[in-house]
Amino acid sequence: MKYTTKCETIKILNLSNEQLLELSKKNLLSLSLEEMKVVRNYFKKLKRNPTDIEMETIAQTWSEHCKHKTLTGLIEYTEEENGKKTRRIYNNLLKETIFKASIELNKTWCLSIFKDNAGIIEFDSKNGVAFKVETHNHPSALEPYGGSATGIGGVIRDILGVGLGAKPLANTDVFCLGDPNMEASKIPKGVHHPKRIMKGVVSGVRDYGNKMGIPTVNGTTYFDDGYIVNPLVYCGTMGIIPKNKINKKVEFGDLILVVGGRTGRDGIHGATFSSIQLDKKSAVSAVQIGNPIIEKKVLDAMLKARDLNLYRAVTDCGAGGLSSAVGELGKKIGAVVYLDKVPLKYDGLRPWEIWISEAQERMVFTVSPKNIEKIIEVFEKEDVEAVCIGKFTNDKKLTLTYDGNVVANMDMKFLHNGIPKPTKRAFYKVSEEKIQKPIEMDSSEISSSLASLLADLNICSKEWIIRQYDHEVQGQTVVKPLQGNNIEISGPGDAAVIFPYTVIKGTKKGIVLSNGLNPQYGKINSYKMAASAIEEALRNAVAVGADVRRISILDNFCFGNPNDPEILGSLVRATKACYDVSKAFEVPFISGKDSLHNEYFINGKRYSIPSVLLISAMGVIENVENTVTMPFKKNGNKIFVLGITRNELGGSVFSKISNMKGGAVPNVFPSESKDIMKKIYSAISENLIEACHDCSEGGIAVAVSEMAFSANKGVKIDIDAVNIYSHLECESEGGIRIMTPAEILFSESNGRFIVEIKPNNEEKFKKILGGAVFSEIGYVSDDKEVIFESKRSNVKIQQNSEFLLNSWHNTINL
Amino acid sequence: MKKVKTLILRTAGTNCDYETQSAFELCGAVADRVHINTLIEKKNKIFEYDILVFPGGFSYGDDIASGKILSNEIKNKLGDEIKKYALSGRPIVGICNGFQVLVKIGLLPDPKFFKQIFTLSCNDSDKFECRWVYLKVEKKVRRESNCIWTKNLPDVISLPVAHGEGKFVSGNEKFLDNLNKNSQIVFRYSLKDGSEPEYPLVPNGSIGHVAGICNKKGNIFGLMPHPERYVFTLQHPAREGFNDRYGWGKVIFQNAVDFVI
Amino acid sequence: MFEIEVLTKEGFKNSRGEHVLSDIYGLGIEDITNVEYSTLYVVEGDISFGEIETIASELLTDKVAESYLIRRRDAEGNSEVISKFSDTKETGRLNHNFSVIEVWYKKGVTDTVSESVIKAVKDLGIAKKIKVKTGHKYHLYGKILQKTLLNTVAKKLLANTLIQKYKIH
Repeated sequence: MKYTTKCETIKILNLSNEQLLELSKKNLLSLSLEEMKVVRNYFKKLKRNPTDIEMETIAQTWSEHCKHKTLTGLIEYTEEENGKKTRRIYNNLLKETIFKASIELNKTWCLSIFKDNAGIIEFDSKNGVAFKVETHNHPSALEPYGGSATGIGGVIRDILGVGLGAKPLANTDVFCLGDPNMEASKIPKGVHHPKRIMKGVVSGVRDYGNKMGIPTVNGTTYFDDGYIVNPLVYCGTMGIIPKNKINKKVEFGDLILVVGGRTGRDGIHGATFSSIQLDKKSAVSAVQIGNPIIEKKVLDAMLKARDLNLYRAVTDCGAGGLSSAVGELGKKIGAVVYLDKVPLKYDGLRPWEIWISEAQERMVFTVSPKNIEKIIEVFEKEDVEAVCIGKFTNDKKLTLTYDGNVVANMDMKFLHNGIPKPTKRAFYKVSEEKIQKPIEMDSSEISSSLASLLADLNICSKEWIIRQYDHEVQGQTVVKPLQGNNIEISGPGDAAVIFPYTVIKGTKKGIVLSNGLNPQYGKINSYKMAASAIEEALRNAVAVGADVRRISILDNFCFGNPNDPEILGSLVRATKACYDVSKAFEVPFISGKDSLHNEYFINGKRYSIPSVLLISAMGVIENVENTVTMPFKKNGNKIFVLGITRNELGGSVFSKISNMKGGAVPNVFPSESKDIMKKIYSAISENLIEACHDCSEGGIAVAVSEMAFSANKGVKIDIDAVNIYSHLECESEGGIRIMTPAEILFSESNGRFIVEIKPNNEEKFKKILGGAVFSEIGYVSDDKEVIFESKRSNVKIQQNSEFLLNSWHNTINL
Repeated sequence: MKKVKTLILRTAGTNCDYETQSAFELCGAVADRVHINTLIEKKNKIFEYDILVFPGGFSYGDDIASGKILSNEIKNKLGDEIKKYALSGRPIVGICNGFQVLVKIGLLPDPKFFKQIFTLSCNDSDKFECRWVYLKVEKKVRRESNCIWTKNLPDVISLPVAHGEGKFVSGNEKFLDNLNKNSQIVFRYSLKDGSEPEYPLVPNGSIGHVAGICNKKGNIFGLMPHPERYVFTLQHPAREGFNDRYGWGKVIFQNAVDFVI
Repeated sequence: MFEIEVLTKEGFKNSRGEHVLSDIYGLGIEDITNVEYSTLYVVEGDISFGEIETIASELLTDKVAESYLIRRRDAEGNSEVISKFSDTKETGRLNHNFSVIEVWYKKGVTDTVSESVIKAVKDLGIAKKIKVKTGHKYHLYGKILQKTLLNTVAKKLLANTLIQKYKIH
């Protein structure tokens, strides 16, 4: 083999174990010793040393980011509960939990799950809808604007690269950040202030999403000091795709076309970087700046090419760049790429840099030779650069050349299946959750707690963010993120509904998007955190009119270092909950992603982020007219709470603001909740529900207040009428006690909805509810006073609706 | 009956073209999304169409300033044709980014003059704002304006806005006086009852609360709000409209289509 | 090499500058009383003064709300003003005390606006090959502004030194 001077040989054949590790570290390969040994042995068999480009290709193909080594690797899991230990071996955690649930559920409307760039479910007889959520955490910590912009840009390309390309209809974004109002002196040196990070990430999503013409319709921001150094940035995109464009094909002789942005030195080592802990020296080149207009041009032109059937497969250039895109498409047959043909932003890139650069806005197409001229013309007519850089072969090898010289030549099988499976240990100790001492508060204490809860960062209005996003572009957002009865006042919607009338002419159907997450629960109980996240996402979707039988979900894990057995243990617990709850609700996972190694060092001490499982839900709604919003609609209408209120204040927002000790984290009771969700769907379909709101953070008090102030109305609630469950109390502290008013109002039990019904629909509504647990708790009033009263406990909380609105509204204004 | 043909001009970064196309189709017109390169190649193609639309979006990323690069391109490459088209009296509308283009080319306020005398600059809040607003059509304007686009509307309607550079300003008060005098300010931001609004119901700080203007003849209309996002009642936050099914935005497109017929 | 500075005309709101000022207060810095923002474009290539004036006046400046200054720059970064103020009101500014922070992208970082400007210059009918760089300029007004304070403002607010460099003068 002949090499150009621009390509170096890496001598590994005779390296000792230490030297192998050192090499991995020095070249930012992020490969373990086991992996380096396997690489060395492979090249021993080939009787030569690898080139730099070969090492880089292996490193990125085997990266945590691309291979999900932890979730698909061997795990030895030990769980301790009440002093008793149980063990279990997972050969592939993902396949044995999340993926398994989907396989067992076997929903015919799931069209493509866990195999493409996004999951796809059926929309109607001719179309599917695809959904994907990604994270872009480390780049956002270093360069918040560029990091989040390329995050959203990347997940949009996942949707463009699913099947033969879907048309994006909506974006979602979820941030986990430090307190933006934190004192600057409390921020570790060398770290951006949370306010700067927040402004940066919001602007990044805003500029990229708005310029792509995709409405950002759903999301949330979660605040915790644990995210100051290592913020989390989740971006999601949903798109619509004809059913006959879902399958990719790659054939011998097909040409490889790279389309869109040029390749530069930006984003080198992004894939391997994402599994290196954050430190100040973090690779500078991992930061990229996106150009949404290039991506928009690609989108416009590629949909034209798709509908003209000019290509057989497409995928995005994400982490790992061309290496990953071409490698993935050609892994079964082989490919040859002429690296000197790749269009560059500037001269001076070495072959390996061209190959693994993660420069933005690039897509790779597989084109039959007979269509190559036509497809290039389609792109060039709209000023999009499209260049043929190689072809697919049948030698099952990856061959790269530069100026006619072969610079890499490896077996696809080694590259894609050669990675050794390490065994990781995981441990989880289930901690006991005790019900707190009774929370005795008088009327005025409860009143001021309510105002504080509404103003809390994790409950307060996110309007400052939402209005910077064009959440109405494409004209299809029929249930909006902020919901009101007029345009002056609005409250927090549970979910958004997209009515894709411009794409599917004559349709009545819609797509609902929602999310759920609660890292605070995870600090106490990882299982309940995951279970609650799923339920919250489902409740949010159901609250606007989704049918729980047609909802699919995505998992996105952001955890600390999985080499720490306790962190991996909590991850295992969470995936177990995913399996159980997905099965119980019969709601399948269709795609997912994990970002591990979210940890950082301050003064040599290691910190992990509070673990997060974000659940994003997508459902199909039969008739978009049968959807509801959360503000109360009319004075005199009756208010019901559906579901049981339990004494579950562990990890609640109330427990945080009141420094409460103990408490049980909300549990999930799928059979109760699922029944209620189905009944809400029936009632909404029959037009019996005027307003509906999910009851979660801050409990009944917050949910009811939000429904009132977003309508500029009053409400009168009888606390004693709420259905509470006292079984838990029997077991705790050795005595039965009734929940106090504060506990009833602020408990965050899952499975509950607040619903507004017209008096003359009451009978029909109750008939639908049948045996479900529900109670009438009050009515909408015309005096703009929000009143919660318990005669039993002699408590009466009364607040002006406008006052509550202001408490909720004014926290975030940067 | 004659099919009214609408040309929706698109380029890199245009993004409200599909919903604008749907709006015209809903009103019985044929609407083609045409790339500017196609038009530059075949300049006379424009005269095959009855209505010309500059849709919303971020043409060329709104780099330099909103609509600037596209207006520069149009002026230099299609200037004569566009001017001729405008003077022919055919309906032209510019929505959001399209309004910014109309003003920066100088088709508004006067296509004969064909020079920029107003601008749409950065919102006072220095932020992109996406929200619904109220728009008022003044009595005098209703009586005297020739605007073909804003007929048959009630005193106050609501539409969504979504822009970062929508503050209508002028370097010379006389220009604004002329607009007032000629009843060219067809939409002003207002409260629901038609009275003077404050931020955020004036989302950008426009002088005189200007949201949309037309030329004296009334065929060319530019506005920051998005009527194409309110053709169905379903799209309204409280699902209101001019009847059970359609939103007030549809009336605006229907007016132009009916004018051509 | 030419540098074009695009400034907001007097009497027009400089929203970006005001926003930066409120962020500066947010840092706990009260010595700065006003901030004016302007955009910088460096154009490199074999073009004449007439052409650069066309680019400045027809393309980069909004005739209604903005004015421009053209400077000739040498490789060391020294520059001298060679255009008249396109709006004479601007000269008033020069009598005040102010410091300037300029922010530029580091080499190799994608400058998306520059690509757009190059396209638009072609549309203007100027067919010569040019290179464009864009930057941000902040005029910070206040009595005597210490260098350390300006460094803080630059680092914490205006420039991310990972991808941008800044100059104080």
